[in-house]
Amino acid sequence: MNGSIHRYALFLGCTTPTQVIQYELSSRWVCKELGIELVDMANFACCGINQINLSQEAGLLLAAMNLAHAEKRGLDILTLCAACTGALAEAKESLRDPETRNRVNRKLNRVGLQYTGRTQVKHISRALYEDVGLDRIKKKIKRDLSSLRVAPHYGCHYLKPGSAFEGFDDPNNPKTLHELVSATGALAVQYETLHLCCGGKSFPVSREPAFSLIQKKLDNLAKRKIETLVVQCQTCYLMYSDQQKEINKQFSKQYAIPVVLYPQLLGLALGGDPQNDLGFDLNAVPLDNLLAKAGVDGKI
Amino acid sequence: MIRHGESKGPIQASNLDLRFASGVMRHKEASGLNACFSCGTCTAGCPLSEVFPEFSPRKLAKMVKLGMKQEVLGSPFIWYCTTCHNCEQHCPQNVKFFNILNVLKNMAAQGGYAPSPWVEQTRQIMQTGLIFRVNEDLVEKRKARSLPAIRSDGTKAKKLIESTGADRIKAQSER
Repeated sequence: MNGSIHRYALFLGCTTPTQVIQYELSSRWVCKELGIELVDMANFACCGINQINLSQEAGLLLAAMNLAHAEKRGLDILTLCAACTGALAEAKESLRDPETRNRVNRKLNRVGLQYTGRTQVKHISRALYEDVGLDRIKKKIKRDLSSLRVAPHYGCHYLKPGSAFEGFDDPNNPKTLHELVSATGALAVQYETLHLCCGGKSFPVSREPAFSLIQKKLDNLAKRKIETLVVQCQTCYLMYSDQQKEINKQFSKQYAIPVVLYPQLLGLALGGDPQNDLGFDLNAVPLDNLLAKAGVDGKI
Repeated sequence: MIRHGESKGPIQASNLDLRFASGVMRHKEASGLNACFSCGTCTAGCPLSEVFPEFSPRKLAKMVKLGMKQEVLGSPFIWYCTTCHNCEQHCPQNVKFFNILNVLKNMAAQGGYAPSPWVEQTRQIMQTGLIFRVNEDLVEKRKARSLPAIRSDGTKAKKLIESTGADRIKAQSER
């Protein structure tokens, strides 16, 4: 079949399409390869996660508005950003309360929308895990990545708060990204600072605590024999990758730890062109060594 | 600025606002605070506390219960939370500290302590729907990679934000 196994409204969020387009590029390519159809929407806006800081009601309304837009089109939502995933899933949880839902709907009605709760929200990794499945992914692998040792980083809002994710994976002891990495043929390693947050959600307000968090993780990873950190959120990506230079300056270190987004790694295993299909040339920490180790030809 | 990590001698009962805790717990999202028995599991599992001990969910919860309104709402540290949700994930009493902190931040924002990045982002969303502007360079960069033009809509978002009054919140730096 060349038909799609599932159709989703693509929720790009704010940061991926503006600052980490290799995540968007590789996600679109991987979804196409594996039969997930992505529909581009004209009316999505910010998920509302940062607006919660000033007004929980404003954050909830933005999330509900986006959910209602997808509902109107009869589509479920596929997210790339862990934080968007969490914001939308949390809003769905809040909106189960009839009083909250009625209050929100009174406001949505004034902008021509309604929320009923039909639309489901899935992060791309969850869609790959549940809709495509590890077995079907493994059958499509074209490149041997068994020489790569990879440290997975989950991203807090991918699974938390656990109450919003219907029992998908275990937020205290997660395994789905490890399994998804293993499905590519690469070796997913366990490491001590797996649970550390990237600090991205308070970075705009206070850089220092975030830098301490990132440094702690990079220091741990530098001592492990790994070829790359793999993330599934563009904010985690920016913190560990683009901020690595600044960390080196501030802490007098020379970390050079590559960071890839999961669809980039999966796309590589599926035979994608590193530059044209997966945007490897856009990553802040060069990926040449990783490609050489994986035996992939082609300069980037 | 009063920092809750600083030692300033014993707490003066006359400085406490005894209605603060009930005012916080009146918000549905924070109603669980009463169940907190200060065990500290939240702080033990907080990645931020690990590298930045001045931030402690346990301490903040206790300060709210004691009525230390000024010290809590004026503290820069309440904005440092990275929103990882470990505190509520680990809490044996099912206290949603993340939600309690959001109530505190909302009160602090109303009281004049809003950090400018969050105020600026809200204003940007009201214009374009996103927290960023899309400039010409980006348009070209996306085109070169055959990515579709970014489409978003700020008109509905603007009306919804205005209905909450969040559009009128000024940053601390603007006051």
